[in-house]
Amino acid sequence: MWKLSSGVFLGWSLGANDSANIFGTGVATGTVGYRTAIWLTSTFVMIGALLEGPKCMETLSALSNVDPLAAFCCTLAAGLTIAALTFLAIPASASQAIVGTIVGAGLLAGHVDFTLLYKVVVCWLCTPVLGIVLGYLDYRILESILNRTVESITLRNLIYFTGILIAGSYGAYSLGANNVANVTGVYVNAGLLIPLEASTIGGLSICLGVLTYSKRVMMTVGKGIVPLDPFSAFVVVLAEAMTLHIFTQLGVPVSSSQAVVGAVVGVGLVGGLKTVSGKMLLNISVGWLMTPISAGLITVGLLYGLQYLL
Amino acid sequence: MFKNFFHQGKKEQAVIDKISAHIRLLIDACEGFHEGLKSGDKKRVLQVFHLEREADTIRREIIAAVYEGAFLPYLRPNLCRFVEIVDQVFDEIEGAANYYSEMEMPEKLKGPCIRVAFYNIRICEMLLICFLSLLKGDSLREKTLAVRIYEKKIDDIKFEMKRVLWKLPVRDFWAGRILAEFVEGLTAISDVVEDASDNLHIINVSMK
Repeated sequence: MWKLSSGVFLGWSLGANDSANIFGTGVATGTVGYRTAIWLTSTFVMIGALLEGPKCMETLSALSNVDPLAAFCCTLAAGLTIAALTFLAIPASASQAIVGTIVGAGLLAGHVDFTLLYKVVVCWLCTPVLGIVLGYLDYRILESILNRTVESITLRNLIYFTGILIAGSYGAYSLGANNVANVTGVYVNAGLLIPLEASTIGGLSICLGVLTYSKRVMMTVGKGIVPLDPFSAFVVVLAEAMTLHIFTQLGVPVSSSQAVVGAVVGVGLVGGLKTVSGKMLLNISVGWLMTPISAGLITVGLLYGLQYLL
Repeated sequence: MFKNFFHQGKKEQAVIDKISAHIRLLIDACEGFHEGLKSGDKKRVLQVFHLEREADTIRREIIAAVYEGAFLPYLRPNLCRFVEIVDQVFDEIEGAANYYSEMEMPEKLKGPCIRVAFYNIRICEMLLICFLSLLKGDSLREKTLAVRIYEKKIDDIKFEMKRVLWKLPVRDFWAGRILAEFVEGLTAISDVVEDASDNLHIINVSMK
């Protein structure tokens, strides 16, 4: 059972970091109370993990065969990679980290399904693009509906407030459904857990991160994103949630941070605004390359070290 | 935890009612000023002081209610700014009333001053119409334009009054100074109301 500890750690850090992509702007601007945000996030992450979590686990399981020790090393390496890249202020994705570690362990074992890896990488590239498209379309469609139907400022105020809560809950559901595979999917592959157990443990560890250590990240991310009006904030979270949900149906775990950046760009395009700087895009590109490569290398190093010690 | 969610709408309505009352009080103050000026009844003009105090209380209640959770945080600074601007209008009226109580109105200026006071009522009424239109989601374009037209009319009268004022013989320095300050205060009301209507326009745009 100790081999699950690194997965729980990974889930905890994912929950602490990625919950900011759901309610970050809402909490930072005071629209949603922090306690409301973390309880909604936890509840819907858990529901998403239990109902749709196994979908992405199948993909990770099929990527390569790993034994229980390798599974431990994979989640530990993913956790360490995210911690290191976060320390270096380079955006890191848990999905890319875990896939990097599985590929690293798979290369050592001599088995990696490169066709499936190709599909996963294409999905990663498509994540911000889909975020942009959905951000743009959602904004246009919802703006047109609201402008035609809701004129009163008080009703708009209520709709934006409720919309942020609903979109945030949907975002948390999608995050749980898509990202729980990153946390415990590798243990299913190793035969340590069945999908339902993996979803439950993964979901609970993400919830633990959300409930215990998400406030600082939420405030940092929420204030770091370009100042958004309530409608744009609502559309960004909705587009991010839809992006994650679509990739969940394809069975590929993707980055919620990249989805949210895409959605912000999409919303910015509507008004011809430049919402993301060249430096930010460079940072994201570095993160894209660095995360799977460094996670894979750390896994190989850990596996060599542990095999030598044990 | 979800208290905020279930109370959405009631707190906002309470704030809206108070802002409407605040603007109505402003119209009452302008009407009182106009009537006092027309009849030469200084007591009537000085009633503005009571209305200003009442308006101050309403302003504090509105700001407290807003920061206790009415409306999205995004909207709060602009709403509070609007209320503060309306309060500045009260300050201008109060200042003008104070000067009026200390001076003798020259016959040559009485007519233009009454006209300005009359337009002040109209411009404040138009501000209320703007605010109610904002709540309904109607276009503010024509209403803010009307505010600007009233402001322009008052500006024209102001320049006309100043030309008269410069040629008026005055008893001493302070008599002249008080008269000039009164004219300045009376004609500044419309400028501040125009700022308030611009702020309503900003609120409207920010929620679209």
